[in-house]
Amino acid sequence: MKLLINAVQVLLLLLLAPLVRGVIARLKARIQNRRGASVWRPYTDLLKLFRKEDLVPDSASFVFRLAPIVLFAATLVVAAFVPLLHGSALLDATGDFVLLVYLLALGRFFLMLGAMDGGSSFGGMGASREALVSTLAEAPFLLALVSAAIAARTGSIAGMVQWTLGQDFFQFSAVHALAFAALALVAIAETGRIPVDNPTTHLELTMIHEAMVLEYSGPSLALIEWASAIKLTVVMALLIALFVPWGMAGSISALAIAVASIVLLLKMAALVLALALVESSVAKLRMYLVPDFLGVASALAILAVVFTALMR
Amino acid sequence: MTQIVFNSFLLAMLTVPVVTLVSQRWRKAHAIPAVVLMGSLAVGIAAAAEGFWRGQRFTVDVSQVASFPFALGVDRLSAFFLLLICSVSLPVILFSSSYVTRHYAGARRHWLWVLLPLFLMSMVLVVTASTAFAFLFGWELMTLFSAGLILIDGDSEQRRHNIFVYLLMMHAGAAAVIGAFLLFLPHAGNFAQMRASATSMPPSLRTAVFLLAFVGFGTKAGIVPLHLWLPRAHPIAPSPVSALMSGVMLKTAIYGFVRFAFDFLGGGPSWWGYLVLLAGGVSGLLGVLYAISEHDLKRLLAYHSVENIGIIYLGLGAALVFLANHAPLWAALALTAALLHCLNHAIFKSLLFLGAGAISDAAHTLDLEDLGGLQKRMPLTGVVFLIACCSIVGLPLFSGFVSEWLTFRSFLAASELTNLSAAIVLPLAAGVLALIGGLAAACFAKVYGVAFLGRPRSLEAGIANEVSLPMQAGMGALATACVVIGVFPSLVLRGLGTLTEELIPGAALPQAAASLSGVLPWIALFFLVLVVGIAAFNRAKKLTATWACGLPGLDERMQYTSTAFSKPLRRVFSQVYKADRTLEVVPGDPPYFPTSISYRSVRTTSFEKFLYRPGVDAIVAAALRLRQLQTGNIQIYLLYIFAALIALLMFMRFV
Repeated sequence: MKLLINAVQVLLLLLLAPLVRGVIARLKARIQNRRGASVWRPYTDLLKLFRKEDLVPDSASFVFRLAPIVLFAATLVVAAFVPLLHGSALLDATGDFVLLVYLLALGRFFLMLGAMDGGSSFGGMGASREALVSTLAEAPFLLALVSAAIAARTGSIAGMVQWTLGQDFFQFSAVHALAFAALALVAIAETGRIPVDNPTTHLELTMIHEAMVLEYSGPSLALIEWASAIKLTVVMALLIALFVPWGMAGSISALAIAVASIVLLLKMAALVLALALVESSVAKLRMYLVPDFLGVASALAILAVVFTALMR
Repeated sequence: MTQIVFNSFLLAMLTVPVVTLVSQRWRKAHAIPAVVLMGSLAVGIAAAAEGFWRGQRFTVDVSQVASFPFALGVDRLSAFFLLLICSVSLPVILFSSSYVTRHYAGARRHWLWVLLPLFLMSMVLVVTASTAFAFLFGWELMTLFSAGLILIDGDSEQRRHNIFVYLLMMHAGAAAVIGAFLLFLPHAGNFAQMRASATSMPPSLRTAVFLLAFVGFGTKAGIVPLHLWLPRAHPIAPSPVSALMSGVMLKTAIYGFVRFAFDFLGGGPSWWGYLVLLAGGVSGLLGVLYAISEHDLKRLLAYHSVENIGIIYLGLGAALVFLANHAPLWAALALTAALLHCLNHAIFKSLLFLGAGAISDAAHTLDLEDLGGLQKRMPLTGVVFLIACCSIVGLPLFSGFVSEWLTFRSFLAASELTNLSAAIVLPLAAGVLALIGGLAAACFAKVYGVAFLGRPRSLEAGIANEVSLPMQAGMGALATACVVIGVFPSLVLRGLGTLTEELIPGAALPQAAASLSGVLPWIALFFLVLVVGIAAFNRAKKLTATWACGLPGLDERMQYTSTAFSKPLRRVFSQVYKADRTLEVVPGDPPYFPTSISYRSVRTTSFEKFLYRPGVDAIVAAALRLRQLQTGNIQIYLLYIFAALIALLMFMRFV
């Protein structure tokens, strides 16, 4: 039964990810006084792309077509580590948060290679910038997770969630605010949102992710888009699970799961609204200010680790 | 039985140079030395495997026959490093069997086949020695033979200077190692005596031994700031030799350090561990940062050896901290991580250097700016190089990840220590390791992306052809090992667990290590199913021209270069590089069209400028001052002798 719930969690992340994207886009449009596309638009986009043919640049090797698949597979495995409705996950191992960070790195590494395989300047440009952002995001990402792991005295994400569930919200350690802030900043960089990267830009001065996928089309592009939607949702789910998991089902009963679903929906809605507000009110940072942005995240993460160690 | 296998391995290795010299008379016999060498290495693997997994011990004691203390003895630690040397060298020699024939002829080829087995033999000697004499004998020979192998590629002024730096630093390091042995006097004979006497040593003497071993072996391992020789010596050797030097020779230094710090001394105060951690962190970060700015493939790889030695030292440092805090369980985990990273680095770094050899063989250059599009020209070399890149970056499902994960795991375990400083420093070291990993990913995305993907940037890269079958087989074997260790780490971890149990009393490999071994094969299976499935589903494709904004004439020079790729990171970390740039523009008429532009950017590392330069200058200044004694006048010399005689007589009279 638990296995079933865990499998459903992964499926939910897989299937609802495009919706999250659609809702964000719609909300942003409303905030900017536009009507915006339907929230189901990402699904129709994916369908359309899957039906189209795959255009491959003549200079490209097998890596070009392998990259989207590896990215998609890696993101899907990451989804299996994150508890969503119940405080457990499909994959659960001590120290799996390191695996989570490195699986995201695996997908990104291959996407960078795929971008460079196209043989144009755009791919290299995007890959080079992505290398900068992801390099500097990896340390605060891991340190924030380390501080959560130390506080919970366990090395697995599901274990950390279980521990937090047992804590009282109002007596919950203030150190977690630091870790949460660090992880939220990293999440923005990791998922390529404003102010680090603009997912809707097509101006070469500002493109990072879009420059990398410029050469992709058809099913390959669909896989990349789907994977980045899943990544966004998974990172949001990770933030919720690690820092505000209350409401997750403690036992496996229909009622508990139903309550957990509604609570999750509300929490997700809050995060999505926050993201849409930030994206509508903040301008994208200059490239060379991104290291400062991630520097703040690193400082917060380091403080989080130090204070967690002090307060053990 | 295994004793016989081990003896025959030693004998077989010694016969290879003889075989080479004999077989050089026949013209068609150039494969014979390689075959004999590979055969003897296979025997070595058999012996080492018995020692490593079954714990068989074997000894060769010459001191009973001759009157000098020369003895070999293989325990589990030695067997592990013997296994590492033999099993990594075997594919490298397979690669060389074709590479050497293609690139070297006549005397140079014979020298290579004489020196290669001797070099391997000296490394075997270092890790199997059980007396100080045998160890130091092998240690010195290792330096000399490797220097000889570098000289085979030529002896121009620049190369000689590099080899001079190499030999100089190696001998300085060896002096420290000899010092570490001498401090054990009068028990400096064999390892068993040294181990026994270490417990009764005064703490100050133990610290002196530790520091000498740290500096001595650190020089050989190439930790910052003792790494100066590494990026000079490794890139100029023939590629298979670079593979052996970077992949295997550096590990003998780790062996020596582990032997001293863990086996003889059994750990010490916490600050030993912090010192090693600091060395590891600094080496790791600076190594990878220097690597990113390189575009000569072999220099880049050499700097990555500094980085990986740094990662190994991070694990060793954590192990020492845990030992000092009486947590043998976690010390065993950290030590296992370090030793596994030794093996992994030996495999993927050798593979990368062999790949560099294959690239230079096919495209006749190692400058990344002249490469590109090689994946299509050299499919197998490209795939194995990609596997090696994934491993060195530490991506999941490849070998490097397992050892880096174990290191992370041990850092995290520090939060269970009561000692506050350890509980803060070690988890923060995880951040350093993550930063190193991120930088390495950026660097190898650059290497593989620029060299193998996109369009060829030079004519020769465009007509490169796949290398010969033995070269492919050698690289393929190493790549397979990367994937097997990455997916089924328990194959090696179990043996390493027993090894660390022997080294650290009261330790067993914690359950934590097993949790990963259970997950990885399933993730690998999932990846395999998904990749095969989607690839089968999405087979249709249409070739088109790359998008060039609707304009014609997209050419290979419009691609991002290696230098361009690393520019953002170099700019962010500009404090580390501090390049000296000179730009000279001769303005023309009108001034917007200069007649000539010259740009030079020289990067001398701060270590050379601030650490070594003053020392060298002081020595040269002192030598110049001393030269005034040497007047060339024989009367003055006679006066010196007379004065020395008087001084000696006075000394004898009054003391």
